[in-house]
Amino acid sequence: MDFGWLSDPFYQEYLIEGLINTLWLLLVSAIAGLTLAIGMAMARIRGPRPLAWTATAVTSVIRGTPLLVQLFFFYYGVGRLLEGIPGIQDSIFWGLLRDPFFYATLTFTLSVGAYSGEILRGALLSVPPGEREAGRAFGLNPFQVFWRLWLPRAVQLCLPTLTGEMILLLKSIPLVSTIAMMDLLQAANIIRDETFLTYEPLLLIAAVYLLLTIVLTLCLRQVEHHFPGVQPVRRAWRPFGQPRRV
Amino acid sequence: MPPSVTTSDDLSPTSPVVEARHLVKRYGDTSVLRDVSLSVAEGTVTTIIGASGSGKSTLLRCMNLLERPQQGSLSIADERIRFTEQGPRSSHTDMPLSRHQLQRLRGKVSMVFQQFNLWPHLTVLGNVSEAPVRVKGISRRKANALAAHYLERVGMAERADAYPAFLSGGQQQRVAIARALAMEPEILLFDEPTSALDPERVNEVLGVIRGLADEGRTMLMVTHEMAFAREVSDQIVFLDRGVVGEAGPPERIFEHSDNERCRRFIAPAA
Repeated sequence: MDFGWLSDPFYQEYLIEGLINTLWLLLVSAIAGLTLAIGMAMARIRGPRPLAWTATAVTSVIRGTPLLVQLFFFYYGVGRLLEGIPGIQDSIFWGLLRDPFFYATLTFTLSVGAYSGEILRGALLSVPPGEREAGRAFGLNPFQVFWRLWLPRAVQLCLPTLTGEMILLLKSIPLVSTIAMMDLLQAANIIRDETFLTYEPLLLIAAVYLLLTIVLTLCLRQVEHHFPGVQPVRRAWRPFGQPRRV
Repeated sequence: MPPSVTTSDDLSPTSPVVEARHLVKRYGDTSVLRDVSLSVAEGTVTTIIGASGSGKSTLLRCMNLLERPQQGSLSIADERIRFTEQGPRSSHTDMPLSRHQLQRLRGKVSMVFQQFNLWPHLTVLGNVSEAPVRVKGISRRKANALAAHYLERVGMAERADAYPAFLSGGQQQRVAIARALAMEPEILLFDEPTSALDPERVNEVLGVIRGLADEGRTMLMVTHEMAFAREVSDQIVFLDRGVVGEAGPPERIFEHSDNERCRRFIAPAA
């Protein structure tokens, strides 16, 4: 095992840039994706028919095709098409539109929107309707009923599942190394190419991902435990199961 | 309030705060209410009784427009509404009922549900103060004080920080009553408030409702607790297959009703 390359400042810079990009991509996609998920879920539950139909179609396509294919489609397909539009290269959006980060965020946002939207839809539908009715009966307007009563309850119901989705999102991020974005895997690949070391850089980023997942899990578990109305179910420390009665 | 035609009724000390006339409510081809009229005087308790499927709950839910009848008219807490096939209309303006008027009405008519319908993600205090803050727009601090006051009233003050899931059914229903009171409504609606409770929990809820009746609150109630209905009510309405079979003071309904089906309905309880 040779980890001597870790002291090389160039490689350190790649790795740190990769880490920052990974975290940034996770944060932006999670926030945008969950926002989209709320819209997708509500469009399917309450939206006018064309909107509900569109949401269903988007969900089916996103969930029915590989994430890597979607990433290629947006970056190589849509990205190249946009390139051909006259004048676009002079527009203020060009900086954004030629950045792989934009296409990666777009892809992950749609993915989170589709998967989490379905989770949220199920959760919204399983909130007892009486709770909303009580809100209406006391004169709350539909907006208040949704944001104060309905959505918080649905999130409460599906929070552990959404936590799982966020972990899956984190581990989808290395796919962006295929569209020339400097993430952790891309940094590792550069180091592998230049040092001819096969395993060591991969071991490092595997360890970093494991650490990130643990940190993310612990953070989200705190959210779960502090979510209003949820009593954390703490297991007693019994490493060998229930004590046996003799 | 816009000027309206004043009849001698409006000036009498017991002018009705609820006046429903000729309500008709259908679901598809099924008529649940067929021409129901009902009048509740201020400060009195009216109990709607009747067999399952007679339309009791539907009638009660028409009072705050959780159900919208297709015909008839309703005057409740100074809101006058006329029902049409196309939806409710304000009798003041003859325009379709505005969201504003609907919410104003619901702010004056509070409901207690059979299944409590507390909001599980809010504490007891949060449940009681939510509507005053959101609907009446009073400050969170004032609403909390108001909520604490009414929780005290139903004997739940010490559980203000608990979540509903940690309360017994009777306690949840008492919190639900405090939630209804915190809106300081003109009329209280009770939809089978004890039907979802264990028998030993029924009395703690009935005790609270009895106290409210003694305070002279205007209440409209659906219940299967016949002895209780007889004890607290000023008026009993026997609903039978979507029409009012008989209405009157409890003594008459329970002891010598003119209505054959009413007598048979009462008999096992008496």
